[in-house]
Amino acid sequence: MIWHIIKRELYDNLNSLRFALATALLFVLMLINAVIHIQEHPVRMQKYHDATTESLSTLRSRTDLFSIAQEGPGNLYKKPSPLYFCAEGGDIFLSDFVYGRPTIQITNNLSRFWSLHYPGAFPNSSNIRPATIKVDWGFVIGYILSLIAVLFTFDSISGERERGTLRLMLSNSVPRHTVLIGKFLGALVSISVPFALAILMNLLVISTSSNVHFGTDTWIRLLIIFFLAILYLCLFLALGLLVSSFVQNSGASLVILLLTWCTFVVFIPSTLASIASGFSNPMTYDEFYKRRIQNQKELRDEYVALLQETRGLPDKKIQLDSEYVTKGTEQEERLTHEHLTQQIAQIQLARSVTRISPVTLIQHLLEVFVGTGFERHQQFLENVHRYAREYREFVTDMDRADSDSLHIIGVREGMSKKPISSESIPTFEDTLSLSRDFNAAAINLLLLVLFFVVLSFAAYLVFVRIEV
Amino acid sequence: MLTTLIRRELLDNLMTFRFAAAVFIMLLLVVANTIVLIKDYDRRLASYNAAVKSNHDQVLERKTYSGVSWDVVRPPNLLSIFNVGLDKRLNNEVFVFYSYVPTLWDGQKHGSTNPFLNLFSSIDIVFIFEVVLSLMALIFAYDALAGERERGTLRLVLTHPVSRGKILLAKYISAMICLLVPFLMSLLLVVILLTTSTIVSLKVDDFLRIGGIVLSSIAYLSVFYFIGMLISAVTRRTGTALMLAMFVWGFWVLVYPNVILVAINPAQPSQDRLASAFNHIEQIWEEFDRERKGFLANDSIPGEDPHFGIVGEDPHFGMIGGSGFNYEVWHKVQSTLLYTYVAGSNIEKLADEFEPQVPHVQNYYRFMIPRKIDAAERSWLVRKQALESVFVQPAMVDRIFLRFSPVGMYDAATQAWAGTDLFGLRDFYEATRKYRRTVIDYLYDTNAFGDRRWFSADKGAVDWGSFPQFSFQRSGVHINAMRALPDLLLLLMMNVILFFVIYLVFQRSEV
Repeated sequence: MIWHIIKRELYDNLNSLRFALATALLFVLMLINAVIHIQEHPVRMQKYHDATTESLSTLRSRTDLFSIAQEGPGNLYKKPSPLYFCAEGGDIFLSDFVYGRPTIQITNNLSRFWSLHYPGAFPNSSNIRPATIKVDWGFVIGYILSLIAVLFTFDSISGERERGTLRLMLSNSVPRHTVLIGKFLGALVSISVPFALAILMNLLVISTSSNVHFGTDTWIRLLIIFFLAILYLCLFLALGLLVSSFVQNSGASLVILLLTWCTFVVFIPSTLASIASGFSNPMTYDEFYKRRIQNQKELRDEYVALLQETRGLPDKKIQLDSEYVTKGTEQEERLTHEHLTQQIAQIQLARSVTRISPVTLIQHLLEVFVGTGFERHQQFLENVHRYAREYREFVTDMDRADSDSLHIIGVREGMSKKPISSESIPTFEDTLSLSRDFNAAAINLLLLVLFFVVLSFAAYLVFVRIEV
Repeated sequence: MLTTLIRRELLDNLMTFRFAAAVFIMLLLVVANTIVLIKDYDRRLASYNAAVKSNHDQVLERKTYSGVSWDVVRPPNLLSIFNVGLDKRLNNEVFVFYSYVPTLWDGQKHGSTNPFLNLFSSIDIVFIFEVVLSLMALIFAYDALAGERERGTLRLVLTHPVSRGKILLAKYISAMICLLVPFLMSLLLVVILLTTSTIVSLKVDDFLRIGGIVLSSIAYLSVFYFIGMLISAVTRRTGTALMLAMFVWGFWVLVYPNVILVAINPAQPSQDRLASAFNHIEQIWEEFDRERKGFLANDSIPGEDPHFGIVGEDPHFGMIGGSGFNYEVWHKVQSTLLYTYVAGSNIEKLADEFEPQVPHVQNYYRFMIPRKIDAAERSWLVRKQALESVFVQPAMVDRIFLRFSPVGMYDAATQAWAGTDLFGLRDFYEATRKYRRTVIDYLYDTNAFGDRRWFSADKGAVDWGSFPQFSFQRSGVHINAMRALPDLLLLLMMNVILFFVIYLVFQRSEV
């Protein structure tokens, strides 16, 4: 019997205007998305490639341990995701590099060591073109697919009730939940088929470009993204069925659904994020600079005071210089790190609050599996921190291996003077791991499933108890 | 008869669930967002005031004319609460200096506490109207004709001696009244929240501007009502009408504004145009440098500007024969065509052995600075044209394409009223350029270039008491109105055209 219902729903839907419009809309959007990706992706990859090569060659050009220790690894770049077209994740607002360079010269022959600095990205601050949302899969799934789901289900129960066909159907020996499941599956199939076809077309167009190569890992990610989209679609179908069985006439059902959709999809993510980010006050740039200069001044005064005592004692002066340099660098790094942590904490709070909205959930999930957005940025920062440790360890190890060295890091005279082979310097490679991504996605995925289960259960309860 | 019709329609609409839902959701969204927006405005205003104060203090600390930097800060626009436009996004601080002409590409951003916050899109009140009002208008309109036709009541109404045009008019007026109720109520709440807030003070002009925004909103609302009515007039069934209306909405409000810009996207500014202009500017400055070097060759001062052997080699630790600071930077940015030579010095103590050189140095500055200003003005002429064609024109083209959707027209009109559009922002930079001229005139008047205090403060510092202050007056309401008028007229024209089309279709349709 359930097959009968599904079949009937499918025939109904496939012949309808909304099916044709939805299919056309999905195909056009996916085509535009693919064409843009083909144009933009090579440029992005080339930029990354050029930047890393340049950064690597400067690193390789250093031969003595002191300059390696002082100048640092230079710019460290974030690797762009090959699946950028699936979810752009606000990547333009996240800086694509971190730099590890010395900041200030103290005197002619004494410089602060390198430390990590996190530049902010202000891509729009002098861009006068109108702002737009990027048309990626995230947009198509998050906004368009959910709207289509609402438009397919708003009258599925209330419409039949209005026309009186629901009574007819229930006069057969069909349990009510079968009717509900049949309706659900019918709508699901009739939306997910054009959606899947649109995605296939999108991938076909993209794979015609010679610049894009997908590995197994990428295909798995794409498959996961597809299933996530279907789960998200199910959630909105369940919502549609719930409202449709709850409300007597289909006009009212549509109004409720559209307003709910608007509130949750369009408004809640931004409004709640603004409210939540008002709760914490991370250090402003002005405060940051003030504290930084204060720190530097204090340390210098201390140094200058001690400098008098070392007059005529070169060994002691080396020791003092080294301490000064190391302490200064540590201080600098601690402050920058504190600044960054506060900023990240503010964003994370706002992001977790906005998870009430399913569109945020799906966007976060897509970002995680695509390798863009905020989670990915944090992963990149972690990679950078690991590399920074490795790099510093390399310097101390090399210095320790040289028996002629005084083992005083920070001053040229105190460090090993043996030439270093450029191949042995550790290099930075930004990586992504699927298993890590699963962990990051787990909670969002659970929430999405939870929403779906609650909504469908509610729809079931309401539908079982309504009068026809 | 007309009033009877209107009354009937009005009662029909007001008692519906959709009306209650519209009121509820509008009030909820508008109030929540207004509170957030006022808080945000407060934060931006505080940061603006702090920046103004710290810049002012910085100027007062300077002791020489050349050592001063005139940082100018853009105040946040109060009406950005309605339509944020470019107000929050673009740079809000610019460094005004005699050796280049400031533009919006040379600025920087102060008060941006957390760059990651850009990840969240910001919502303004016009955006809420844009999405919700259009949706509500369509929901009210889709069954206006198709529904009555389906139920057969249209035939009944037409048996009375009433013209079809009157029926349309009655439906339109009553629906607009119903739609305006939630709109005006929420707007009233916004104004109440604004006036009761202690941070904000609204002037008469601001109320007029808000009035303009209201006018544009009503025109926008009515366009969408007509679109829904047209759909309703051409379709036989309400189901079809509804689907068409929803997809039209989705396309025009969600899809079109986001898709069209990437579809026409020239994206990369034309590099050739930039490169040739940059070359031209480079030549102007090289010519200036030649003149400067020629003067130095004929003069007997040892060393280069701004050292002249006066200030020691190590600017950080101890000076030879004096104390103070100096700086010199060539700013060269090809992507925005910035090319200038910035130098200044602030010598606090001058060793006696350099005293004989002072007249030479004064002579040098008296000769050099006016030429530098001249080079800056000449390169500005080149730069202005290039920036216009590389950055401004594509942005204008984008805005033209956006206007193919009523959302684009509405957005442009409200931005113009609020003064957060491109023209409003350019007013500010126009003011900074005017300020730069004022400062240069002041420097000429006080004969500052040839003054000892241009570079050295050892014999008394500059008195900043009469130094011109920057102040920025937003353009008057009439200018806002002029800028908003094209889009407002477009919206009104669309209304009229749609009404006639509906009228024609409805006249000829069978009931």
